[in-house]
Amino acid sequence: MKKINKINKVRVIVASIVLMFSIKSNAQIVKAEIRATGLTCSMCSNAINKQLKTLPEVVNVETDLNTNTFTVTLTEGNTLSPKVFKEKVEKAGFFIGTLVLTAKPETITQSTYILVNNNTANGTEIQFQVVDKGYVTEKEFKKLSKSYKNVETYASNNEDDFHIKILN
Amino acid sequence: MRKIILFLIAISSQNITSQELFVVTDPASNVPANSLAVNVMQSLFKEEMKSGYNYHFMPEVTYGLNKNIMFRASAFISNRSNQLVTEGGSFYTKYRFYSSDDLNSHFRMAAFGRYSFNNADIHQEQIEILGHNTGFEGGFVATKLIKKLAISSSVSFEKAFDNKPDYPFPDNMGDNATNYTLSFGKLMYPKKYTSYKQTNINVMLEFVGQTINENGKSYIDVVPAIQFIFNSQARLDLAYRQELLSSMVRSAPNGFYFNLYYTFFDLTK
Repeated sequence: MKKINKINKVRVIVASIVLMFSIKSNAQIVKAEIRATGLTCSMCSNAINKQLKTLPEVVNVETDLNTNTFTVTLTEGNTLSPKVFKEKVEKAGFFIGTLVLTAKPETITQSTYILVNNNTANGTEIQFQVVDKGYVTEKEFKKLSKSYKNVETYASNNEDDFHIKILN
Repeated sequence: MRKIILFLIAISSQNITSQELFVVTDPASNVPANSLAVNVMQSLFKEEMKSGYNYHFMPEVTYGLNKNIMFRASAFISNRSNQLVTEGGSFYTKYRFYSSDDLNSHFRMAAFGRYSFNNADIHQEQIEILGHNTGFEGGFVATKLIKKLAISSSVSFEKAFDNKPDYPFPDNMGDNATNYTLSFGKLMYPKKYTSYKQTNINVMLEFVGQTINENGKSYIDVVPAIQFIFNSQARLDLAYRQELLSSMVRSAPNGFYFNLYYTFFDLTK
């Protein structure tokens, strides 16, 4: 009996891994555009640049030093969540001002994404902004808290779900 | 051997918003997490009570544990006994507990603490645990960045102990003090960034003061500095420290600083 249980467990694990990967291949972030706050110097900007480049999923980081905007291109088939960009920028000692992600449309069908506007994008890629606390400036967050006061989950600031606004 | 180890410990660090990278004061910002910075600080101050110059060589290493906490170890080497002698060392830590950032600006606050040991003779009323006294210091620093200008201010309590084994702290001097600093830093060049390779130039003006709590004896110094940042990774400071006011005995208040910094980003890669 025990043996069968074990085998079943293994099967479930294998199946879920396979499932995870199959979902992920269609649901992925292709590109991230990060505008960082709290800095004006190239040395600080470089700290963020180096932090982003430690991610194996990062193919390339392009920086506009005058606006502190980092355009991050990601590998095919990656399973990154928006959280990782926040962590990296904060590790460098700064914060995210805006985070705009370009992704395959299936990405936002995952339960971790909650839409705050009704735009439905057509096309092979969608572009959306993460509007949660920590992904927008403090001022912007105060404003958004008022606009989204009827979105129940927004105020709870759950770190693992992402409220998104579709841009295209 | 001890010297070599201290030397290695001491080659030291930092990286923040460059306008905040003051020569004398540490800002409220920290080095990036998992990064190591090395700094070689040298100073040459003119002796007031005898002829010649007092040379200090101070290597430092700074490590960012996470986004809010950093550690620093320093070694103190000086020529006070006419040859270069390792006189002591220091441990420093800083915790950033408040940040409010916006596009191109921020306001941050941090608490810091330092413990130093030193075996040199005690030859002045000024308490300086960076290279002269054994003792500790604890305080707060607040830093505001507005576009290209950084303004930072700190207040701290500093207490000196005996410089063991040979030099007890003199009974006739106050052994604790309040320190205060006000620093300004401005990015002068470039006006517009084109790449990480561009050399940045910052100018700084710092005011550094101390009051001995027991007797009110004080000094205030001004430290103008020019700073070059190379390749967004290395930094060179040239600064001059000049006494503005003083009612205490100081052995060498006026002189030059020459600092070299290098940051090793993300060690875990």
